[in-house]
Amino acid sequence: MTFKLFTLLLQAAVSTIGISLVSIAIGFVIAILLSAATLSGKTIYSAPARLFVSFFRGVPLLVQLLLIYTLLPAIGLNVPSIVAAIIGLSLCTAAYQAENLRGGFSSVPKGLIEAAEVTGFNPVQIFSRIQVPIALRLTLPTLVNESIMILKASSLVSVVGIIELTKMAQDLASSTYQPIPIFLSAGLVYFVICSTIALLGRYAERSMARTSA
Amino acid sequence: MTLPAITIRNLVKRFGETTVLQDINLEIPEGKVSCLIGPSGSGKSTLLRCLAFLEESTSGMITINGEALGFFEKPDGKRERLPPAQIRTVRAQTGMVFQQFNLWPHMTALGNVSEALKIVRKLSKADAEEKAMAQLRKVGLENRAGHYPSQLSGGQQQRVAIARALALEPKIMLFDEATSALDPELTGEVLKVMRDLADEGMTMVVVTHEIGFAATVGQQISFLDHGKLLFSGPPSEVFAKPRHPRLDQFLDTYLDRGASMLI
Amino acid sequence: MMFNPQVIIEKLPELGSGLFVTLLLWIAGIAGGVVIGFLVATARRFGGFATNAVLGSVVEVLRGTPFLIQIFLLYYGGPFVGLMLDPIPCGLIGLTVYSAAYYSEIFRAGFAAVPVGHVEAAGCLGMTRLQTIRRIQIPEMALIVLPPAVNLSVILLKESAVLSIITVPELTATVSAIGSQQYAYLEAIFILAVVYWALVELTDRLGRAAEHRLSRLRFLKA
Repeated sequence: MTFKLFTLLLQAAVSTIGISLVSIAIGFVIAILLSAATLSGKTIYSAPARLFVSFFRGVPLLVQLLLIYTLLPAIGLNVPSIVAAIIGLSLCTAAYQAENLRGGFSSVPKGLIEAAEVTGFNPVQIFSRIQVPIALRLTLPTLVNESIMILKASSLVSVVGIIELTKMAQDLASSTYQPIPIFLSAGLVYFVICSTIALLGRYAERSMARTSA
Repeated sequence: MTLPAITIRNLVKRFGETTVLQDINLEIPEGKVSCLIGPSGSGKSTLLRCLAFLEESTSGMITINGEALGFFEKPDGKRERLPPAQIRTVRAQTGMVFQQFNLWPHMTALGNVSEALKIVRKLSKADAEEKAMAQLRKVGLENRAGHYPSQLSGGQQQRVAIARALALEPKIMLFDEATSALDPELTGEVLKVMRDLADEGMTMVVVTHEIGFAATVGQQISFLDHGKLLFSGPPSEVFAKPRHPRLDQFLDTYLDRGASMLI
Repeated sequence: MMFNPQVIIEKLPELGSGLFVTLLLWIAGIAGGVVIGFLVATARRFGGFATNAVLGSVVEVLRGTPFLIQIFLLYYGGPFVGLMLDPIPCGLIGLTVYSAAYYSEIFRAGFAAVPVGHVEAAGCLGMTRLQTIRRIQIPEMALIVLPPAVNLSVILLKESAVLSIITVPELTATVSAIGSQQYAYLEAIFILAVVYWALVELTDRLGRAAEHRLSRLRFLKA
């Protein structure tokens, strides 16, 4: 296992982290929108939202990626593979994050919302200034968990040819006929990244616990 | 003069850096009610748990009816851990009642009381349930035999817990603040069962905050503070003539709250 | 887009076989995972510091790395250590080991959730460790571990699709192959998605029904 090969893996890991971060961020925004739709109480918004969440949590990510990858060109959207991959990952994580947020939102004490209502906040303000911040604090651990999930799940975009850590490992393994050291190293890199996220998450939890009630 | 039921010699218990029990020496008389009283954190619960072998002492020795519990102290001072089967035999002489009842939620009252008879004593289901019903009758709950713990009040749950411990016919019953988790109206029914047991001559070691119970039913009162046994003796000596400033202090808080029966 | 129902009927045996392999791997993965996971959780709880540390590290690594990497390691790396595995056995082992790691964490949490006093009471009444595990801890854990266990089994169903990458002839592989043969790949993938979706929904519902029945029988709200 030479140093050069390892640096190649590390470079690919940067790609993995980048893809994951972007997908989590986009997924988060979509998740907030989905939550707003579900909380609105109006079926015309909440039903499609719930359908979306149900579909993207019920279908394997691999199948989702294959679907997006073939669907986009078919409807005339010829985007680069990496864009298709990120869209696929984002939609998937959006559904999981929306589900996590659902638990958070239902745990927001009703009294706090009522206090906001009588103070004259409109629904949008209540949502953005009361419900979202509180739900986020409550669901931070699950958000950290979800980030770790997406990071591992990003390995699947290798099947649509994106050069990230897993694809790089595959290519290197087949060209050097040394699958064991290469896949072990790739695994190690994933493990270190995931553990770091977990540690950062615990640190963030603790400092948040200090600042809130 | 009969042999003491329990002999505690030079007992020390440390949790890491903290010493919770410091050199306890005490003899628990047979057939009598022995109460352990003292402020929170005094170590009285830990001492009781050592008698039940739920905590393992750091040094010292406990003998139950003449047999060493858990550890045997050799003449040269070293401690030898006894084999698990022997420990179980000695533990079988004591029954324990917990503050939190600890009834098993997935079994009925009858199930709880008969379980050990079936599994440990290897009785048939019919025999075990017959004996269990007898115990439930004794604590006044034969009508609730088919109920689950969640369907019973706190006082009823604790009485089932007492029946469960009695089912194995222990020689000594240990009570760890048996009424502390109960609403005031419910403590009476449990204290009554304990009083009846005492009248039958059961050897009992009771950790309690119920000073009234200790004064009227207890026959040996031991006062612990900060892990030390400060005083031990009959109620007349303990309550009529307080002997230790800390004991005075401790009892005063009870007198202030209207426990005037002690005077 | 063309949609030809005739094709589905013609290819039914192949589809059936693909579905069968998926279900086989899934059920076996759950069964093996539950058994091994429970043993690992028990060993970690009662086995002493070294056992806990070693098993704990293995579990952490299995949970902290992508399933695909584990499968690649097993499939492509196996021959180098004398383990020449066909796709299906390889997939089975990979999925079982992966699932065992996750189930062991669920059981670990389950053990911790049983009130320690219930275990102490059993000890005071003379029950041995094995008796306590069987008669007290497992029943009390059952309701607590059921929701996460059902969740995990759903996750495992979805992960099984990954096995298509190492040419295991399960549902995803079969449907994609048929789809591209028939120049109807998109439709095929869409139907594939719906099939998984249906299976997942079904499992979720069954799981909730089981939880409901179990909680009524057990009165664990004490």
